[in-house]
Amino acid sequence: MTKITLNGRELEVDASKPLIAACDTAGIDVPRYCYHPGLEPVGSCRICQVEVSEGGRPARVMAACRTQVTEGMVVNTEAAGAHDARRECLEFLLKNHPLDCPICDKAGECTLQDYSFQEQQAASRSTEPRATLEKRVDLGEVIMLDQERCILCTRCVRFQEEVTKKPELTNAGLASNSYITTFAGRPLTGNYQGNLADVCPVGALTLKPFRFQARVWNLEKSSSTCAECSRGCSISVEVLRRGDVKRIRPVFNPDVNQWWMCDTGRFSFPEVNDAERLTGGLIASGDDLMGVTTGEAIRHAAGVLASSSKTALLASPFLTVEEAAEVKVLGEAVGAELLFVSPDPNELKDDLLHTGDPCPNRNGLEQAGFKAISPADAATRVTGADAAILVGERILKLLAGNSLGSTKLVTLDTAACLASGVEACISIPFYVEKAGTWINVDGHIGRLTIARPIPASVQPLERSLVELTKSLSRAGASV
Amino acid sequence: MDMLITIAVIVVKITCIYGGMIVIAALTTLAERKVSAWIQFRHGPNRVGPWGILQPLADGVKFIFKEELVPDSANKWMFRMAPALSAMPAMMGVAVIPFAAESPLYKDSGPLAIADLDIGVLYVLAFSGLSIYGIILGGWASNSKFSLLGAIRASAQMVSYELAMILSIMAIVVMSGSFNMTEIASLQAGPLWNWNIFSQPVAFMLFLIATFAETNRHPFDFAECEPELVGGFHTEYSSMRFALFFLGEYCAIFVMCCMTVVFFLGGFEVPFWEDAPWFIQVGAMVSKVVAFLFLFIWVRWTIPRFRFDQLMGLGWKVFLPVALVNLLITGGLVSAGIL
Amino acid sequence: MVIVKRKELSLSERLYLPEIFRGMSMTFRAMFKPAVTRQYPEEPLPTDEVTRGQPRLATNDEDGSIRCVSCGLCEAACPAYAITIDGQDTDRNAITIAGDVTEKFIEREPKEFEIDMLRCILCGFCEEACPKDAIFMSDELELADFTRKDLIYGLDKLKRPVSTLRPRIDYIYKVNERWQASSSTR
Repeated sequence: MTKITLNGRELEVDASKPLIAACDTAGIDVPRYCYHPGLEPVGSCRICQVEVSEGGRPARVMAACRTQVTEGMVVNTEAAGAHDARRECLEFLLKNHPLDCPICDKAGECTLQDYSFQEQQAASRSTEPRATLEKRVDLGEVIMLDQERCILCTRCVRFQEEVTKKPELTNAGLASNSYITTFAGRPLTGNYQGNLADVCPVGALTLKPFRFQARVWNLEKSSSTCAECSRGCSISVEVLRRGDVKRIRPVFNPDVNQWWMCDTGRFSFPEVNDAERLTGGLIASGDDLMGVTTGEAIRHAAGVLASSSKTALLASPFLTVEEAAEVKVLGEAVGAELLFVSPDPNELKDDLLHTGDPCPNRNGLEQAGFKAISPADAATRVTGADAAILVGERILKLLAGNSLGSTKLVTLDTAACLASGVEACISIPFYVEKAGTWINVDGHIGRLTIARPIPASVQPLERSLVELTKSLSRAGASV
Repeated sequence: MDMLITIAVIVVKITCIYGGMIVIAALTTLAERKVSAWIQFRHGPNRVGPWGILQPLADGVKFIFKEELVPDSANKWMFRMAPALSAMPAMMGVAVIPFAAESPLYKDSGPLAIADLDIGVLYVLAFSGLSIYGIILGGWASNSKFSLLGAIRASAQMVSYELAMILSIMAIVVMSGSFNMTEIASLQAGPLWNWNIFSQPVAFMLFLIATFAETNRHPFDFAECEPELVGGFHTEYSSMRFALFFLGEYCAIFVMCCMTVVFFLGGFEVPFWEDAPWFIQVGAMVSKVVAFLFLFIWVRWTIPRFRFDQLMGLGWKVFLPVALVNLLITGGLVSAGIL
Repeated sequence: MVIVKRKELSLSERLYLPEIFRGMSMTFRAMFKPAVTRQYPEEPLPTDEVTRGQPRLATNDEDGSIRCVSCGLCEAACPAYAITIDGQDTDRNAITIAGDVTEKFIEREPKEFEIDMLRCILCGFCEEACPKDAIFMSDELELADFTRKDLIYGLDKLKRPVSTLRPRIDYIYKVNERWQASSSTR
């Protein structure tokens, strides 16, 4: 540890990290474009300049991201000289930056906007025409590149070199004609392209699925946990006008996902924007399903379960720990073994984040006493029983393709069950609509928060489970 | 036979005169709104018929279809009767007003008045005094403080000004030597200066101002007095009963204007033209009355309302003494044979 | 404490009648002066470039394309939350905007642009916020319909050729120039 004086405060900081990291630890905001805590600092943008004096020598303005912390260093981030240097830097950065803010998806969370505003640097003295470059470079499925907006911080280049170890982007051209490109304009590959849009401090690299979908200041952001694999990356779920989830972004979590997340998780939101979702309940009526309230569906389900002599219970790996506790009570009430459907590991596994295991709460369910079972075995269990309870988000999807026979089914899923034996379907909220806990593959806790309101006709799964157990005991008593 | 003809003649007279009065009263409401609009640089009603001429009809239809509300705590029977009691005496007064010296309907049927009473002056004064009962009853039966205050004010005002008004007319009666309206009018025939207004200017002014107070018109409309009493005696009234109060007020104004014309402006007589044909006389009478109706409206939209104490002070301390002195002098001059 | 002396009345004023005649002559003269009331449906209100009527979206005269790029600044500026915009991608060709500015691409255009006229307070903040000269306060002032839904105006009701908004645009430019001149002297 090294002692420095930062804006008049004496601090002990980690000498292995650059000065800007020390400022971050101290809670002092220093502007940065090229510096990213997860990437090697290069000092190319020069916006992070601060005033430093070492060993009693006169103060000098230096880039904080490339300055090593030394004993007795005196740093002033708010010195007039530092601000002057930042303003000069901004003027150069803005010289060729197009005034695209009205159509730029980054607008609102763009650090170029923020620091221009903060440093009061808006006017340009240049009378030269702005450089014109390619405005729409299609870099594959995920990323759209606008070379005019790029400020050449090379965060994206370094991300690929250092994090994914797949250097596909590079800095081409010379001096003021530099631009970012892929080799021969080839599309980007890999499952981590979305992070490029996150690391880009301006609107040069933008997400194609999010392109012009919403203005970022209209998005309501809630922290949550990714549902796509057992890693359980910390994410921010961003909802537009209390409706659709428009974007999922990683949130820094040093224990789980650092700053990153995979594209599988990032673009999983269509799953929770299902316009055809089940609301209320459905019960069997002759050959058809009849729409009823959730409460009526629960009472009907209790009647079905009470008259069954052998009931199977299959949980979804998406259940939270809290829901699992209620499922356990229900399982004991019907005398069923506690099982959760665990599909085979998929080919998305990599050595960065994705575990290949599509069960976000495997750890939590196993700790709660549930046993994993493959979808095929699960289907066999169902066909071997009089009645079966299928509970949890995506359980029907996980069992799809397996014949469930004519066993009487009670399902608690976001979708309606169309199997032949279905007796009652009870709607449940998506994972972005509930609060709860998942335990990831390493035993870390991932919290879910309510990112958008549940539709009025849908009730929380815990409540439905409690009501089902109660109705069941009442129905059992009357039989 | 003669009896039947006499009855028929009277029925026709009643129909014509009352019909004419109601029409004029209705048109006066329109004129009120039109004149007030002109004075205030506005247009006034102009949507119903040409120049809004059908506006009174539209108002009438509206009043008939409005919901009628009777307050829970009101004295129902009197509450319902009051508007009629207010409108009826006001209309009755017109019975003795002569519109021409000769009736065109039937030979020797007398002057064109429903009843050519010898005590016409007393009759018309009696009925104008009676119309206050409607207001007092309405205000009292409403069981509302505003209505009651309006009614009390109206009665106090009426008593104070009736005195001055009657005393000023007495001067005319003394001069004419008759209570017959037709005779009073006929005595003013001949040249213009035969009109009583020239021989009795003080009586004219007193009478004119007293009629404003008598009919509850601005600047003496203390019975209604919106800023202080919401609507005064008719605060609780709605629908056609509300309209009846207004019909009564406008009929009273019409009768008062007729009286003014008969007493001071020669009535149906045309200046410098004695024995003019009946329709000319009716025309002269109506045009004089209309001029006074206009004066009523004109004054209303010009002069602000008095204070109540000012009104009473004016009535008792100015009008009454002046009227008495005027009567005294007139009597003296008449007995001395000068007038 | 201030003692205000009552004005001494002259004899004619105390007699009151002369003053009444004065007043009546005044009202009589007033009767013959022209009315100042406007007969509204027949005589509509005169509008000019200063009129802040309902907001309208300008479309280019050349090809009828919309100027709006759905940037959402009007939506953010709107104090009554009357505006809702959804954007979409477009590859319309370049067109001339505001006389001399030419853009290579209009990358973005509104998919849906709704103004809830029941909420709109005609403040003109949207017009002020717009970076693309796309939304202007028009001279349209009349707003009546039978359902609330019909008063939420969509793109179809909001579009108007820019030439019909020209006087307002010129006026806004004039005002902005003045504002910029005073603020640049800091």
